[in-house]
Amino acid sequence: MREAQLSAPALSAIGLRKRLAAFVDGYRDAGVSTLAVVAFLLLWEAAASWDWINIRYSSKPSAVWSAAIQVWRTDDFLLHAGVSFAAFASGFAMALAVGVPLGLYLGVSRRARLFLEPPLMALYTAPRLALLPILIVWLGIGLASKVAIVFLGAVFPILVNTLAGVRSSDNRLIVAARAFGATKTDIFLKILVPGCLPAILMGVRLGVGRGVLSVVVGEMFVSQAGIGYQIMTYGQGMRFDRLLVYAFAISLFGYALTVSVRMMENRFRNWRPAA
Amino acid sequence: MGQIEIRDLSIEYKKPKSDETFVAVEKVSLSLRQGSFVTIVGSSGCGKSTLLLAIAGLIPYASGSIEVGGRKVSGPGRERAMVFQDASLLPWRTVHGNVRFGLELQRWKRDDIDERASRYVRMVGLGAFANYHPHQLSGGMRQRVNIARALAVDPDVLLMDEPFGALDAQTREVMGGELLRIWERDKKTAIFVTHAIDEAIMLGDEVVVMGRNPGHVRAVVRIDLPRPRTPEMLDSEAFLAYRRQLREYIAADLVALQMIEGVV
Repeated sequence: MREAQLSAPALSAIGLRKRLAAFVDGYRDAGVSTLAVVAFLLLWEAAASWDWINIRYSSKPSAVWSAAIQVWRTDDFLLHAGVSFAAFASGFAMALAVGVPLGLYLGVSRRARLFLEPPLMALYTAPRLALLPILIVWLGIGLASKVAIVFLGAVFPILVNTLAGVRSSDNRLIVAARAFGATKTDIFLKILVPGCLPAILMGVRLGVGRGVLSVVVGEMFVSQAGIGYQIMTYGQGMRFDRLLVYAFAISLFGYALTVSVRMMENRFRNWRPAA
Repeated sequence: MGQIEIRDLSIEYKKPKSDETFVAVEKVSLSLRQGSFVTIVGSSGCGKSTLLLAIAGLIPYASGSIEVGGRKVSGPGRERAMVFQDASLLPWRTVHGNVRFGLELQRWKRDDIDERASRYVRMVGLGAFANYHPHQLSGGMRQRVNIARALAVDPDVLLMDEPFGALDAQTREVMGGELLRIWERDKKTAIFVTHAIDEAIMLGDEVVVMGRNPGHVRAVVRIDLPRPRTPEMLDSEAFLAYRRQLREYIAADLVALQMIEGVV
């Protein structure tokens, strides 16, 4: 509802006032969300301190906090983060490099769609982490397998959304472009690509989540270092406080990345009528 | 330049999933003078938009010929520009960017593109809205952008496919007046498709009435109202006479159709 009002600033003065109101609203929303998190942490701390729950199986916020400080000081946290990040970044870059062009190509070529869509859709719905044992046999234990599993996780949301974006492009715009003598390249570059940019970004956002998940799970099985490896190690040692430190670190990373992509999406949404 | 000769033009569509063809326009011959404003009316399904798209070079025709400025039409060309119905603007481009669009596609020089785009944005009265996106504009404003986009490429012929079809009656009248004001500056040949009879009379030097099954020209009526046209003319005897005449043509077409379909 608020979005609908925002997108139609008939007069700039009214637009400004509404934007200001939305800004204040935004802070209030953020305040409520923060309050919810704080309340949850307090409840958790209380529950653990007063023995409502067994601390051995669940840890508590204050213990996690001191574990975080220890991890930072003694645990080579940056090394593990670096290992994970390298695998994620390489796999995700490959997913972008393949997903976007292939999605665009499949979007414009009917023949390629007929040929490639069924196997791709089968892979898309398949649990790709289940392919991990095969990847290990092919690529060994180490970076290559992790990159491959991140790639497989992230490439499909990107590809599928790009494809859908191209397919849903408005035919009326293409006809209008043709009336002005547009070539096929013009139509591709000036209509199809900008038109499906929001869809591509949505694919990227979903791909981030899948990629982060993949790198952690991959490291639990095929790594000697990295966040996922640490999580596995501390899990087996029943060090849930430290396990949670790494789990929080990875969710923070995924969250930050998702939010930045969403901010990019919103930038491009300013030309769109509010949904 | 903007002289248009259409001879024995037939346009056919292949019906989807069968070998049958559907004749949308049959044996249409029209001669449009350079610099005239011609409106085409007819009930829906009479092939008036199809005819316009063929002149634009956007759909092929089965037989006959279309010549613009002495050259046979075989595809889109720089001497023709089209104004579409609502929603043919690029939603991600601003008003200025949308007016640039046609110039970019026709590979105008970079400096000319900016200069002409700004000029035509101002000409349609949207100077203050150059940086707005289409969804922030009213329907009438969007159609001004559409008109500016077509005029910016300096065509000899302006083709308009129910450009005001999505507007309310009041806005429609205002836009008609605006269009005439702009057209009277350099009198490009204009073809304007509409299903509104009043609009057709008010704008046109000639009104082409089309009928259905298959699409054909029923009559061409010369409109001898002085220019500039004013809203007061809507109530004049002459205007009412034209309206009566055109209504009869269209009504006759509908009756003929109903008899074919066995409704009557």
